[in-house]
Amino acid sequence: MKTEIVENGNQIIAKFIGRLDTPAAVQTMEDVKPLLDAANKEIILDCTELEYISSSGLRIFLSVRKEAVAHGSKVIVRNINADIRQVFMMTGFVSLFEIQ
Amino acid sequence: MDLHCEMILDEYREAIPVLEQMKTEVLRLLREALDRSGLIVTAIEARIKTEESLRGKLALKGSKYATLSDITDILGARIITFYTDDVDRIAAMAEQLFEIDWNNSVDKRTLHQLDSFGYNSLHYICKLPGYDFRFELQLRTTLQHAWAAINHDIGYKTGVEIPREYLRRINRLAGILEMADDEFSRIRSEITDYRRRVQQLVQNGKLDDVLLDGDTFNSYLQARPFDALNKRIAAINQAEIQEVPLIHYLRVFNAFGCKTLGDVERLKKHYQEAAYRLARHQLGNTDLDIISSAVGVQNICIVCIIASGGGKMGLVRFFDAINGHNTQNEAIAEMTFNLAKSIQL
Repeated sequence: MKTEIVENGNQIIAKFIGRLDTPAAVQTMEDVKPLLDAANKEIILDCTELEYISSSGLRIFLSVRKEAVAHGSKVIVRNINADIRQVFMMTGFVSLFEIQ
Repeated sequence: MDLHCEMILDEYREAIPVLEQMKTEVLRLLREALDRSGLIVTAIEARIKTEESLRGKLALKGSKYATLSDITDILGARIITFYTDDVDRIAAMAEQLFEIDWNNSVDKRTLHQLDSFGYNSLHYICKLPGYDFRFELQLRTTLQHAWAAINHDIGYKTGVEIPREYLRRINRLAGILEMADDEFSRIRSEITDYRRRVQQLVQNGKLDDVLLDGDTFNSYLQARPFDALNKRIAAINQAEIQEVPLIHYLRVFNAFGCKTLGDVERLKKHYQEAAYRLARHQLGNTDLDIISSAVGVQNICIVCIIASGGGKMGLVRFFDAINGHNTQNEAIAEMTFNLAKSIQL
């Protein structure tokens, strides 16, 4: 699992590559810390190359959203695959994020 | 300007730092008291009389004042409220915060004759412990403030005496604004009573008597109507429930044709078992141990749409309503529709 952070003007983009499962979650939480520090910017969670997300991964997404909302910003989840889309739907989090 | 007045002006210049300190302290005390009370006001402001304004006052009636501390409005504070009732609440607050000089305080709202209208405001002359100077606290509503400001602009700024006809028209407007102020206060009281009645009806389960709107749906949600279903769903995987807002489901229930909270409650009871089956089918084969508090109501809406023949397009409209319109909603709707068909909801 790899996480790449790119700042682009008023946006900060986190690109997730691989499987965001429980073992990968600890490192990913460390990797997304720059998002929490820049939560006043629009945050893009780019899931184009994210294959799988577990509950631990969902919790990371929720932490990022919580910080963004506290700073009056928003989180956009981009390009999720069908499996991840189903995870968002069945857990009821589908309306919490802007999914593009 | 005679020597006596010049001495008062010298005293004023020396007192500026103390008056600045007093202004800061008065504003701090008022803001803290308002925060504690939860009262929301339009503005809190304070100003030290300018030298030019003081000079004008002394030129007119300088002999009336022995020293600067005899001038009661050398520092002025003003609170502008939304409602007339709040003027009285803040007055009571000021009586706790400051020592009131009752002999010089005046409630201009009660000074008018039965057939006259005009300037309405409550003026308290106050003393802050530890300071020699008094200050004036003006309390008025936004409408009273607007009238006073316009009246001042028209009446004083031009420097020309205003004909009686125009003064009468300005004062007639004061009467209209007084009626509007009373009406705003009455509307607020009636809305508060309405909310209390709705909460009572929700608590007593008389939901058919409560029309569905933003206010009433919010009261309904406070009774946590989807908790039992969410807990059943959470038990499938011993999941934790993350609280999320549900108010946007109002437009979905409106689209379902619900007119009262009773309609929403019936719909919930009718579809909650199928909503649970949908969740069990989805979550049962996963190890997802976190769900949102929207999952119960979301699944109720999904099974309602499927059962009433809304099909895939109905689901797209539903996801558009709760997520905002975006291209992913079609894929989510298709996935949900196929799943619902496979378990024969």
